[in-house]
Amino acid sequence: MPEHARPPSVEEPRLATRRPAAPRRRRLPRHVLAALPLALAGLLALLVSGNALRPFERITTIDGKMASKSDFFKDPQVRRLLLKHGIRVEIHRLGSRGIATQSLAGMDVAFPSGQPAARLIMQRQQRTVKSARPFVTPLVLGTFREYAQTLAAAGVARPQQVTGGEDTLYYDLDMRKFLRLIEERKTWNGIGYEKRSERSNSGRVLVRTSSVCESNAAGTYLSILAFVKNGNQPPGSEPRPKGDAAGSGDPVLDVAAEVKPLINLQGMAADEQADSYFSDEGESIAPVSLIYEHQFLAHQVAHRERHQRQDTRRVLLYPSPQALTEPQLISLGADGDRLTDLMETDEELRQRAIELGFRVRFSGENGTSEQLNAYLRDHHVQVPVPNPDQTKADAPDLDALERIINHVGSCPPAGKGGVS
Amino acid sequence: MRRRALAACLVVLATTLAACSEGKEQRTLRVLASPELADIKPLLRDLEEDTGVTLDVDFTATADLDVPPGSYDLAWPASDRSYLLRLREERRRVPESTAIMRSPVVVGLTPATARRITTGKPLTWADIADAAAEGTVRFGMPDPRRSDTGRAALVGVATAAAGTGGALRRKDVSCDRLRGFRSGQTLTGASSRELIDTYVRRQGAADALIAHEAELLALNAGRKLKEPLTIVHPADGMVLSDFPLLLLDPARHEPYREVVDWLRRDDVQERLARATWRRPVGADVPRPPELRAPIGNALSYPDQLAVVRRLMDNYGDPGRRRAGDHVVFLLDFSPSMRGARMADLRAAFRGLSGADPSAAGKFARFYRGERITVVRFAGRVLEQRTVSVRGAGGLRRLNDVVAGGGLAPDTAVWSALDHGYRLGADAVRDGDQRPLSIVLMTDGENNTGMSYGEFARRYARLPAGARAVPTFPVPFGEADGRELRRAADATGGRVVDAGSSSLSQAFKEIRGCR
Repeated sequence: MPEHARPPSVEEPRLATRRPAAPRRRRLPRHVLAALPLALAGLLALLVSGNALRPFERITTIDGKMASKSDFFKDPQVRRLLLKHGIRVEIHRLGSRGIATQSLAGMDVAFPSGQPAARLIMQRQQRTVKSARPFVTPLVLGTFREYAQTLAAAGVARPQQVTGGEDTLYYDLDMRKFLRLIEERKTWNGIGYEKRSERSNSGRVLVRTSSVCESNAAGTYLSILAFVKNGNQPPGSEPRPKGDAAGSGDPVLDVAAEVKPLINLQGMAADEQADSYFSDEGESIAPVSLIYEHQFLAHQVAHRERHQRQDTRRVLLYPSPQALTEPQLISLGADGDRLTDLMETDEELRQRAIELGFRVRFSGENGTSEQLNAYLRDHHVQVPVPNPDQTKADAPDLDALERIINHVGSCPPAGKGGVS
Repeated sequence: MRRRALAACLVVLATTLAACSEGKEQRTLRVLASPELADIKPLLRDLEEDTGVTLDVDFTATADLDVPPGSYDLAWPASDRSYLLRLREERRRVPESTAIMRSPVVVGLTPATARRITTGKPLTWADIADAAAEGTVRFGMPDPRRSDTGRAALVGVATAAAGTGGALRRKDVSCDRLRGFRSGQTLTGASSRELIDTYVRRQGAADALIAHEAELLALNAGRKLKEPLTIVHPADGMVLSDFPLLLLDPARHEPYREVVDWLRRDDVQERLARATWRRPVGADVPRPPELRAPIGNALSYPDQLAVVRRLMDNYGDPGRRRAGDHVVFLLDFSPSMRGARMADLRAAFRGLSGADPSAAGKFARFYRGERITVVRFAGRVLEQRTVSVRGAGGLRRLNDVVAGGGLAPDTAVWSALDHGYRLGADAVRDGDQRPLSIVLMTDGENNTGMSYGEFARRYARLPAGARAVPTFPVPFGEADGRELRRAADATGGRVVDAGSSSLSQAFKEIRGCR
C-alpha cells in the first residue's frame, strides 16, 4: 500500500538520529557473552589454519574518479579479484572530461574513458605517473529494432549478416547520410517509423548524448561529427580543401559551428546514457543513445544468462567512420601504482574484462578481438564486426578537440583544476 | 603465549565493536527532498538497518533546489535539471548524481471527461489545450515556479505546443502559446502534494490533474476520490523525472555510495515501485501491472535556463486568474481580397475558432475568456464587432462578420490602425486589465485616409498605456511591407509574412506574442 494516506506533516520526516550510546556503561548482552567462547574458538581456528585474519588484514581503499569504466570496478567478480590483493576501489563517478577538469585531490587513481581526457590529466601531473591502458572499446549508438529498420529502409543503415537466420543485433551506420537526416530536420515518423512500428514518434531524428563538457563519449562523438563534416579529415590538420570564403577564418571553429546544432538539438544532455538505454523505459527515453560497445555486449551476455536468449529489441548501430576509445587508468600515488600494476599483469582481471565486453590488449598487439569473439560465441551472443570497411575517424589534436568541445558546449574553462 | 593471544583477540573484538557503533553514530546524512518523496519514509528504517546510514530528510525542496551551502549533505528532488542548468550557468561544480526511480508527468482525467474528449485517437497535450480553451476541461497543475512537477509539466506542454520535435529554444518561447491551455487551469499548489490534497477536498473544482504518473496512481489507490482518474500518457510526449540522489557534500561520498547502492538493489527497487508507484530504473525489476504500460516518448528538456525562465514568466502565477487577452483584428475588405484571399481569411478565422485540427491550431485557438474585436475596413471602417469568448455562439457571430461582410473600394490602412489604437486608448481609460494587441491584415497599399506619418504623430500623442499595445501586421499580396514594418517596430510588434505560407499559419504564429 502506498503511504499517501498519511496526513502530511512537516515534523514527521525528521527521523530520529541514533541516540549516542554511553560508552562507559556499554555492556555486552548476555547472548553475546554466551557466544563469545565460540567466536574466539573460530578466530583461533582461522589463525591456526594460517588463513590469517583476512577481514582484519590491511585492506587498502583506493579512491578513484571514473566515468563509464566504473562498470568494470563495480563488477562483483572484479571486486572479489581485487580483494584478494587487498584492494577495495571506492568509485567517485563523474564524466571523463569532468575528471580532467576538476580537482583530483584525495584520489589515488583517475580512470577517464578515453585518451583526450587522459592526456589532459597526464599533462597536469607534476611528475611521471604510472598508468595502464588495459582495453579498448568502440563508440556506438544503441537503438531499438524498429528504429534501426527505419534507418535501414531510409538507406542510412545496413544490417550485418548473421548466420542461422536470426535477426541481427548489429547495423552499420553511414554517418554522412545519417547527419543529413538530422540536418534536414527529419522526424522519425517522417522517415517511416510509424509504418514499421506499433508506436509513433513525431520527435526529430537525433542522438541523445551525455554532456560534451563532461563526458568522453560525447567528446568522441563530436570528433566523428567534425571529421565527417570536414570532408573526412580531422579539423585543424590542414587547410580546408575547398576555399570556403564564408567562415571565420579559423577552420576548427568553422567545423565546430557546423557541428554544434547537430548536438544541441537534443536540448539538455543527460548523463548515464547506458543506464537509461538499458532500463525498461529505454525506448521511451531515447530512440538512439550514445554508448560504448562493451556496455552493449555485457548487457547481451547478462541477458542471455538471465533469460536464455539475446535481447533482440536492443540493437547497435556501428558508426562509419568509427571511433575507438581507449580508457586509461592513471595512478596518482603509491596505492594507485598497485592498481595500475595489477591491471597490467593480472590475467584474471584481464580475462574478466573480456567477459565484460572489452577488447583487451595482449602484449600490446592488435589481436584484441579474438578472445572477445570466442567468449561471445561460447555464450551464444552474436559476434559483431565493428568496422567492416575499416574507416576510422581520426581525432583532431587535443587542442583542436578542446576548442570544438568548448564551442559546442560553452563549457567552463578546462584544465584549471578545482573548478568548484 | 596462548593467554596473550586470547587477550589480544578480546581487545580486537572490543575495539571493533566500539568502532562499529561509533562509526554509525556519525553516519547520518542530512537530505533535502522534494515533498512528493515523503512516500519513501517507510523504507528508511530498513535502509538504516542494512547500511547503518540514517537519512535525516526535510521534504521541503522546491524546484530551484535553493540549498544554503553546507546545510544538507544530499539532495533528492524529482528532477535536478533546473538545478544543474543553474550550476552550469554559474560555472559551479556539478555534483555526483544518481537516478533512483522514474515517473512521467501525465494527466489524470475524471472518467466522464476522458470519455467526452477522447476521439478514438490517442490523446495529446494539444487535445487538452483545445478542451481547456473551449472550457470543457478544467485542470489542476502545481505551480511551475515552485514545484519541480509543475515545472516539468509546463516544459512538456510548451514543447508539445512548439511542435518542433526537438528541445525548446529561445525563439519557441518568445510568444506565449499556452494562453488557451492556461485558461483552463482552476487548481494549483506549491507542490504536487498540496495540489492533490486540495483536489481531494474539492473534487468538483477540476476534472483533470497534471502530475507525475506515480502521484496519480497513488491517489487512485488511496480510494479518496469518488471515481479513480483515468491516466493518460499524452501521445505528443512527456517529460520524465528520474528522482536523482545528489551528493552535495563530496566529503560524505562513502555513505552516499552505500545509500545509492542500496536504493538501486533489485529487491529495493521492487519495493519502491510497489510503495511509491514510480518506475524502477533497474532493468527487469518486477513491477505492478499499472507500471507496465508504455509511457510514450520522452520530450527533450531545454538546455538553457533562460528558456525555462521565460516559460515561467509567461505562465505567471497559476493561482491568480488571469484576464483574458483582447485582440483587435483589423481586416482589409477592399476588392483585391476577392476570391482565394477572402477564402483563406475565412478559413483562418474558422481555424482559430476551433476548427483547426492541427496541434498548433489547438494551442493557438481563441479561448474562453478571451475578447476578440473584428474591424472590417476598406476606404473607411465598415463594421466592428466585439465578442467575449464564452462558447460556440459568440465565435459563430464573429465568423459571420468575417464570412458575410461585403467588400468596399479603397484601402485606408493607417486610418484603420488609428481606429485600432483609439479602441486601445478607450480600453486603457476604462481600466481594462486585458493585455491588448492589434493584428493588421492588409493586401494593398494605403491609397486613402491618413498617411503613415500622420498615424505616427497621432500614435505618439497617445497615453503610455495605449502606446504599449503592439501591432502585428500581416502583409498579404501587394501590401507595402516597409511601412508596415515601421509600424510594427514603433509599437513593439513584429511583421508576420503571410506571403510565404497561409494566413492561417501567420495568425497562429503571432498568437500569444507580446
